[in-house]
Amino acid sequence: MKFTRDAAVILIIAVLIVVSGLTYLSTQMFRGLTEEVEQEQFSLMETILNTSLRDGENRALAQAELMANLPDIRKIFATRDRAALLAECQPSFILQKEKYGVDQMQFHVPPATSFLRLHSPDKFGDDLSVFRPMVRLVNTDNVSRKGLVVARSGPAIFGVAAIKDLTGTHTGSVDVGLNFGPVLDALKASYKIDLALFISEEPLRKFATDLPGDVITEQNRRGKYIKFHSTHWDRLKELVMESDLAKLNETRYTRTVRGVTYGVVLVPLLDPAGEPLGVFAAVKDFSASRAAAGKSLVWQSLLALFAIVILAGAILVVIRGFLLRPLEVLTERFEEMVDGKEARPIEGDFCVEMQKFADNYERLRLFQSEQQNSATPPVASPSPAPEALRAEEKK
Amino acid sequence: MKLYLTAIVTIAIVLAVAFAADGPRPSASRQPELPQQGGLPINVQTGLFFLKIDSVQENENTFRATVDLRLRWKDSSAPATSDTAITGFQDFIGDAAKAKLGEVWVPDVEFSNMEGEPTYATQVLRVFKDGRVEFRKRVTGTFSSEFSPDNFPFDHQKLRVKLVVRGEDAKRVALDFRQEDLDFSHVSSEVEVSGWDLGLVDIHRESERGLFGEYHSGLSVELETIRQINTSLAPIFIPLFASLLIPLMAIYLNKVEDGDFQIDAFELCNIVIGGLFAVIALNFTVNSTYQSLGGTDNPVTRLFSLNYLGLGIALAIIICMFHFNMVKRMCGKYVQEQLYVYMIWAGPLLLLATAVAILLAAAA
Repeated sequence: MKFTRDAAVILIIAVLIVVSGLTYLSTQMFRGLTEEVEQEQFSLMETILNTSLRDGENRALAQAELMANLPDIRKIFATRDRAALLAECQPSFILQKEKYGVDQMQFHVPPATSFLRLHSPDKFGDDLSVFRPMVRLVNTDNVSRKGLVVARSGPAIFGVAAIKDLTGTHTGSVDVGLNFGPVLDALKASYKIDLALFISEEPLRKFATDLPGDVITEQNRRGKYIKFHSTHWDRLKELVMESDLAKLNETRYTRTVRGVTYGVVLVPLLDPAGEPLGVFAAVKDFSASRAAAGKSLVWQSLLALFAIVILAGAILVVIRGFLLRPLEVLTERFEEMVDGKEARPIEGDFCVEMQKFADNYERLRLFQSEQQNSATPPVASPSPAPEALRAEEKK
Repeated sequence: MKLYLTAIVTIAIVLAVAFAADGPRPSASRQPELPQQGGLPINVQTGLFFLKIDSVQENENTFRATVDLRLRWKDSSAPATSDTAITGFQDFIGDAAKAKLGEVWVPDVEFSNMEGEPTYATQVLRVFKDGRVEFRKRVTGTFSSEFSPDNFPFDHQKLRVKLVVRGEDAKRVALDFRQEDLDFSHVSSEVEVSGWDLGLVDIHRESERGLFGEYHSGLSVELETIRQINTSLAPIFIPLFASLLIPLMAIYLNKVEDGDFQIDAFELCNIVIGGLFAVIALNFTVNSTYQSLGGTDNPVTRLFSLNYLGLGIALAIIICMFHFNMVKRMCGKYVQEQLYVYMIWAGPLLLLATAVAILLAAAA
């Protein structure tokens, strides 16, 4: 073991381990906090989305129940007078469509036959029981229902209410379908969240036969899903890939595009029967939390480096400056004395403990000097040279 | 007679108050009525296309661009002529548009952050058979847009065009946007801006407070721009890093033999003072070229601060340690010698690590 090297190395390694360990723990804690904040953001995004969908469902159902309970509508519907019903409801439907995102409104006769589509009055008489089980159920048990459905005109948030004539006899049902667009646009405006709705292509092709031609296109395809609506497709198409939607193993993830990190939440959508209908994707800019975490890591690393270098400096300066270097000088002087060279005085300040050695050296040097001055030089047997003495010692 | 007059005046006052409270806001030259058949507010779907960006003046917090504004709304009272029978719409361009604007209501949408008057402006009005109306306006002008250099040179900036409805509050006319408006709102693929990469366009809703406490609907159309790092590397960061070597050189140039310094502190002081003037000159040059960097907290000002700090510490070391031998006096010459040896490697390491950390923190 060489104290000059090993003592400093051991101490510096100890400092390195302690400071690095503390810094690692500190960065991990901050990373944990950042992750917690991001998870909170994810949860908030999911909550906002689910709440908005529920609000949309409630609004659709409220409007359907309002329609179902208007005496004039009940009376006209009971007589199955399609033209009169259209005349009665169309003005309000146009207004609702233009201003409040009511996309579809339809009357049905039991069990689930379309009687009048206010959004498409020419198409009626078709059986909806296959793709609108909710309508069949409402006409079976007279209980209002709500949910997300792919209808003939496309996916929408539906509320279905049973209609009774003025005597209280069940005559059919009415549904109100809210367009997803205004719901998502309102969320973007309020919370600065970009959203996209992906619907499975299969039900879309099968049931939504009245969809415009620009919906099911290659540009909108993401694997088995079709982008039905988005608030910023240029951004979302870089953040939600086919592989993300394929298995939905990971419904919360972050992705960095052009230097900005976004948090993405995927919310699977189920129809009222529990069948997968599509996926909602919500995207929020996470760059602020990521930047804070990155900055924290950089500054903490720098502080750790400062701590290590300053403590290492203190160790080196104290060990070498107070102990080793004076010891080196003393050793050098003693060696010179032993070697028979002229003993030089020691200059410089020593610590109290080292000063004793220095004082002893000085006394020895002075004693030797006095002896040399007082002694008569021997004639017969001169003292051997220090080199010769050392050579003899070695032998 | 007095009773009648009092009654008439009272009715007139009541009507005037009622109109002032709930009626349309006074409009200087608009003749056509607000198309409120469908109720209020009238949602005007808005999009903005960046046709050309001539320049980005960061120092003035402005950019000069040519933009196309598209406003769309429904006005079933808009007079459609027989020409719409074939195409479904009719266009009114130039003088025809001006004339038609006297008949059709068009929202008074203003570029609220445009500086001065536009150098070029043209407009087209398209009236559809089904009552839809589309108004397009091409404008060339200078727009004010705040640049925040906090993360310079790794910063993302937004070139903003702010739109606000004048004359009508948000309860009566509201600017709105949908995906098709975002699709319209992009930057032309031919546009290139020196020193910047262009990103996506996004739109945010805003509102502006009116004189009577009401709010006017507005939108902020923002084009994301990403600074190209290489343009600022040579003129700013290489000199800044080079000047960090000055205080290090002043320390490094000394020599220690048996615990005593060999170079006169005066000569080393001269190096530091020379370095101080060099950094001041560099600071002045950078601030005059990149005015937005001065006076804000950003990596450049932090690196300048680090330079000044380095020079200050070097000066303190030269005076206290080299000139007055304070360490030697307090702890002995061997401690002074070892401290100097330590400073030779620790000083550059800590100074350069801090400089790199400043840049990394900006890039994070």
